[in-house]
Amino acid sequence: MKAFEYAAPTTVDAALKLLGGPNAAALAGGTDLLGRAKDYVTSPDRVVYVKEIKELGGITGDAKSGMTLGAATPLSEIVHHSGIREAYPALWQATSEIGSIQIRNMSTVGGNLLQRPRCWYFRAGFGLLGMKDGQSLVRAGDNRYHAIFQTDGDALFVSPSSLAVALIALDASAKVRGPKGERTVKVEELYRVPRREGESELTVEPGELLTHVMIPAAGKNGAYEARQKQAQDWPLVMSAVNLTMQGDTISKARVVIYGVAPIPWRSEAAERVLVGKKFSPEVAAEAGTAAVEAARPLSMNAYKVPMTRTVVKRALIRAVQGKGYWEEG
Amino acid sequence: MAEWPASPSVIGKRIPRLDGLLKASGKAKYPSDVHPKGLLFGAMLYSPHAHAKVKSIDTKTAEKLPGVKAVLVIAGPGTTLRYHGDDIAAVAAETEEQARDAIRAIKIEYDVLPHVVTEAQSMAEGAPEVFKGGNVKKGRGQTKGKPEDAMASAAATIEATYTVPMITHVCLETHGLTVGLEGEKKATAWASTQNVYGIAGDLAQALELDRGDVTVYTEFMGGGFGSKFNADVWGTTAAKLSKMAGGRPVKMFLDREQEHCAAGNRPSATAHIKMGADREGKIVSVIAEGHSTGGVGNGTNMILPYVYRGVPHYSVGQANALTNRGGSRAMRAPNHPQSCILTEAAVDDLAEKLGMDPLEFRLKNLDPGSPMTPIYQAEIPIGAELIGWREKRKPRGKTGTGPIRTGLGMALHTWGGGGNPGKQVSCTIHPDGSVDIKTATQDIGTGARTILAMIAAEILGLQPTEINSLIGNSSYPPGQPSGGSTTTPTMAPPCYDAVTKARDALFKKVASAFNNARPEDLSLKQGQLWAGGEPVASWKEACRKLGTSPISVTGEFVDGLSSTGVGGCQFAEVSVDLETGEVKVKKIVAIQDSGLILDLLTWESQVYGGVIMGLNYGLFEEVVMDPTSGRMLNPDMEWYKLAGASDIPEIVVRAYSPPDEKGRQVIGVGEPPTISTAAAIGNAVSNAIGVRVTEWPMSPRNVLNALATASREGRA
Ligand SMILES: Cc1cc2nc3c(=O)[nH]c(=O)nc-3n(C[C@H](O)[C@H](O)[C@H](O)COP(=O)(O)OP(=O)(O)OC[C@H]3O[C@@H](n4cnc5c(N)ncnc54)[C@H](O)[C@@H]3O)c2cc1C
Ligand code: SF4
Repeated sequence: MKAFEYAAPTTVDAALKLLGGPNAAALAGGTDLLGRAKDYVTSPDRVVYVKEIKELGGITGDAKSGMTLGAATPLSEIVHHSGIREAYPALWQATSEIGSIQIRNMSTVGGNLLQRPRCWYFRAGFGLLGMKDGQSLVRAGDNRYHAIFQTDGDALFVSPSSLAVALIALDASAKVRGPKGERTVKVEELYRVPRREGESELTVEPGELLTHVMIPAAGKNGAYEARQKQAQDWPLVMSAVNLTMQGDTISKARVVIYGVAPIPWRSEAAERVLVGKKFSPEVAAEAGTAAVEAARPLSMNAYKVPMTRTVVKRALIRAVQGKGYWEEG
Repeated sequence: MAEWPASPSVIGKRIPRLDGLLKASGKAKYPSDVHPKGLLFGAMLYSPHAHAKVKSIDTKTAEKLPGVKAVLVIAGPGTTLRYHGDDIAAVAAETEEQARDAIRAIKIEYDVLPHVVTEAQSMAEGAPEVFKGGNVKKGRGQTKGKPEDAMASAAATIEATYTVPMITHVCLETHGLTVGLEGEKKATAWASTQNVYGIAGDLAQALELDRGDVTVYTEFMGGGFGSKFNADVWGTTAAKLSKMAGGRPVKMFLDREQEHCAAGNRPSATAHIKMGADREGKIVSVIAEGHSTGGVGNGTNMILPYVYRGVPHYSVGQANALTNRGGSRAMRAPNHPQSCILTEAAVDDLAEKLGMDPLEFRLKNLDPGSPMTPIYQAEIPIGAELIGWREKRKPRGKTGTGPIRTGLGMALHTWGGGGNPGKQVSCTIHPDGSVDIKTATQDIGTGARTILAMIAAEILGLQPTEINSLIGNSSYPPGQPSGGSTTTPTMAPPCYDAVTKARDALFKKVASAFNNARPEDLSLKQGQLWAGGEPVASWKEACRKLGTSPISVTGEFVDGLSSTGVGGCQFAEVSVDLETGEVKVKKIVAIQDSGLILDLLTWESQVYGGVIMGLNYGLFEEVVMDPTSGRMLNPDMEWYKLAGASDIPEIVVRAYSPPDEKGRQVIGVGEPPTISTAAAIGNAVSNAIGVRVTEWPMSPRNVLNALATASREGRA
């Protein structure tokens, strides 16, 4: 990796000043940034460590009024938080399946949300869109881990953050502070589909810091993930859902899917199926089917279509009924 | 002929590795842990392209960077680079960072050439050539009897194309060594190798020294699996860099990317197989056409049919498709795991087609002419019992109705693993009672150090911990390179010979000191010297009688202590989620013979390790090449998937070791237990989900694709 200047400020203001310079990067757990730096995908001149900033740590609030997560909170704190486990099982499940214990101990809420895609063309230095001589390497090559939605565009990577999928389902917001002050955005607004090479998939600008994530009180929520390995693997696809119930009837639904698009994929098609219905496993299955109607897989990832249908269905069943038909015992 | 003791006190017991605690506690110094004084760090520059010519190379900037002590060009202008990872140049610098920066400062102009990295690309009409003379090399074909006629008259036939991808060795310690020179004429190296004796010769040649001027140490090493027999370009390059830097030691270990790309692979294998059986369930014909790639090296030499060699009619054709990717190397039981998958999948499918229990079908088709057949016949019922075959196994497709299905599968394997003459072990008994065993072999995980100590302890009536078992040093008597499961069967006989002769020499020298006993009256057990049925002295007291002269004997290979040829069977129980394609292996049962087992504990650990490696082959591993850029896309440990602790199922290991099996003497066990695991897992998955998954590994993608194809074709 390229040599860089290092600073470890203790306040957000000091951090923002340091991040103001050209080509600076925030460093939290480093589980993403350092790998990218070693592979020369990202070569910052200055690295600003944010875990010493007290303001950015900790989990506050409760199930009724909502909770706030500091951006530098390690993922393991979420896993060990009984309040989160009870109120936001979607977040708890998604987080507890990230990486390994070691990775969850090091990595943070902010770092997870703002990690860069794992697309193997991007990580090999071919850029986020994976183009070579005007051709998409992804389209012509091995796209087993790539997107199945919006595949007529150039951005075929998938958004890497499990946390984002859960937080968007939970309708969470993020506080971002920069040289121009502070703004609060919906977590889904942290992401966009880049239109050309060089444009980031993240809306947080260089020089800005994500400081907090706020989660409102939630309805019945849950997540379900499909993966190849049990140990230390990424989801192939995952879904997090959040249903507001009026009696037995679903009055509001949020269905978000991981591993299918360059952004955390909000499935309005699935949500439309759910709203106004009484919950049943059949309704969950219908929502799963609706979720994949617009899928247009690439040459090697058609398998993600039935898999996505399943994880949406199972996330819904898990959210409402706890235990699922697929679980043994 | 020599014989192992009939009622041993150490041999056959469970003896913990002598260096187990050192390894488990991190105290063991592996070659990559060694930091001799004045150490420089080496780094390799390797090709980012699959096929290119070096137009120009400029190292001037790199040479002037701080800390850089030596720069060596390996592929000068005009050289053709044939794969991502091919060696171009190397640097030695004061720090690792400086070395890596210097590598990036070397300026190269490439003429990028068209490449072929997949078998399809390689075999296409008019494909760019990897080497002059065409990409496709016809391999060994075989015909026996009249396969077409026999197929036509078969009562049931199956026909399918089965595929297993290329994988790599992924040694946890990457390839490499640290090497330095003292003066002009002496070199010392610490190498991660499975051939400590041979690698000294490689380095001597690179340095224009005699073999004896180079001492190589391999006290410990972090895995080779067949890929670490030579010093390789990077090793000899390190030696040359050291020479250029005035002899300062240079540490050169590959990064993971180059390790994956350039340091060996197990070739892929695809075969289109027709197999037919008669009404009684006897296989009558096999017709197979296969192809594979081992990059710029050899492809798979498919043994088809595998194990069931008694099939009366068969024809096999195969081709090796050269590709622009690092060359294959031997990998734990070369050719066998692929051959096992291809054959055992077809055998299983044919049994299902006939409506026969695949276990009975296998028993029916064992080769009557093979010495392994009685072994399989004995092992299969043991394995069936341990996996619960009779109670649990349901016919394919009749495994229930829910989304999670469980299934059972099995497969058979065979291997050689015999000992070779020509290697030596020395034994020195010192007057203070200490005993040194020396040989230039190494412990690649098979327990060589412990096993040599056990043999000595057995013969001298001592404990293995009382023996100094000295290996991993090229200046010791020539020892065996660890390949082909030959280390134990090759090194045990000369060890036995050396220690027996040393003991007899001891008896001769000291007998008179014990009531004028005759040497033939003496024996050793329980740490005592015995004369005529009485303990007369402790081991130490006996040795003291040697005065000032130790006994030193070099042992040679003796006949009668080792042999070759093993058979084994493995069973897998899996659960498969039909909706997500996720496969979980619940249990593996491995039954293995290997003659006389010296250390049951290290033996079992070989089998566990083999099964885990086979599980990775069955579920996770595959080299992914990008057709357009020609690069390996997963040269890491993130997308090159390997099991973690939670992926490991219950593994039940049983030695098949009745008295007549012990009479077969010592046979190696390093390779056989990894052969049939992946085949058994694939068969279990097909049993669970009701359709054959023809492509390994059993990933969710391959499972869901197989289900989708079957449902399109109306089969499920
Ligand atoms: C084997 C493995 C498996 C994994 N599996 C999963 C998985 O299943 N799901 C998943 O979601 N992730 C997974 N990960 C990724 C891991 O979760 C992320 O690397 C981690 O969450 C990043 O957090 P960090 O604190 O280490 O971030 P860092 O690496 O420190 O930073 C990541 C990025 O965010 C920026 N950044 C960090 N904090 C801030 C801030 N407060 N404000 C602005 N910018 C900031 C950094 O500049 C950098 O660009 C896996 C990783 C590995 C190695
Ligand atoms: S995960 Fe990798 S780095 Fe961590 S202990 Fe294991 S081998 Fe070492």
